[in-house]
Amino acid sequence: MNQSAISKANKALYTRIIAGLGGLLAGALSLGLSIYETRTGTEVAQVKPGKPVDAGQWMVTLNSSGIATETPDGRRVPDGKKALTLDLTLENMTAESSNLYRDALKLENVANPPVPQFYLVRDSDLLWDLQPMMPEKVKVVWQLPATQALPKALSVVIVGTTYKPKDNLYAAPGWFNPSDVARISLPLSVSQGAGP
Amino acid sequence: MIRLLLSLLFGGVTALLLAFLQSTTPSYAILTGPIETAGLQKDTVSSRTFSVKVAKVLRTKTIAFAPYGKSIERQTEGVWLIVSVELQSNYDTMTIQAAAIEGASGRLYRQSHRADGAPRLMPSKDLQPGLPTTGIFIFELPEGETSDMTLVLSRQPSPQLDSEIRVKLDGASVETRDRVEIGANGV
Repeated sequence: MNQSAISKANKALYTRIIAGLGGLLAGALSLGLSIYETRTGTEVAQVKPGKPVDAGQWMVTLNSSGIATETPDGRRVPDGKKALTLDLTLENMTAESSNLYRDALKLENVANPPVPQFYLVRDSDLLWDLQPMMPEKVKVVWQLPATQALPKALSVVIVGTTYKPKDNLYAAPGWFNPSDVARISLPLSVSQGAGP
Repeated sequence: MIRLLLSLLFGGVTALLLAFLQSTTPSYAILTGPIETAGLQKDTVSSRTFSVKVAKVLRTKTIAFAPYGKSIERQTEGVWLIVSVELQSNYDTMTIQAAAIEGASGRLYRQSHRADGAPRLMPSKDLQPGLPTTGIFIFELPEGETSDMTLVLSRQPSPQLDSEIRVKLDGASVETRDRVEIGANGV
């Protein structure tokens, strides 16, 4: 009786030790894998302005950047603010009309950039959807405090997504896993379109 | 020994069967997708909740309209497609917010927001049951897509378990104009 109780306790302890070892091993493996991935991760490619970048959903061509006192629809920027503008060409590479271009651009060396506004150059008006296979010239505007110091060259990162024919939840097609695909350095021409 | 072999065999067969069932089960997106009705341009196409008759399809390079008294002109690299339709709701007051053209390549071109503010746009109209309502949809698409077009209509974009009507447009009946002035009395 006593003997069997002891052996039972031993067995339970043994099971726990095995389970603990397994957990530790899994943790170590996952840590090692993530360290390995970070170490061998590819550098984000540096791309010249004017060169099209394939970002999955979008074909993005950054052309120039500047500072303006008017937004492209002809409105004056409010007092105490200035408009940082970015000229680009956007083409929708997906299978349907889409306005999911907001996350495709990231400013790297501007502190706390607000949510930008996108304008369609052709209409001098706000941009809504972009139709597939119809590239358009687009102006992006960030309204910043007038006192904010800006770098000489704007560093812009293009964020790309990848297509999945079936997502894991609904088995529906979609674009996932945003990751940086290109970094572009754009000289900031202060004179362009800026009044005194 | 026999028993072991049998259980292995049974396990294998079960795995195969389950894999077959899993691979042939329609996905959630398909199971809860739209309830489609397809038809041709010359017919009135009816779904459970609404019906549509395509009256006229216009192709143009330039559209003009005056949303607040001031005339606006919109050009395009592709073409503008103006589809005038007569819609009727069957049971309740509803609006048709989602319209798209499926082009020759299978890509989906939703209504263009560049024409927002044009008169007689269908999404701005309420459909009252039993009362036929006429209006237009405006699309912008590349020229190459216009060789084979299907109009896709539903109450909301990406409807789930709701009616969607697909009308195959007749390419021969498409009228081409240089410039279309969209007024309150039609195009």
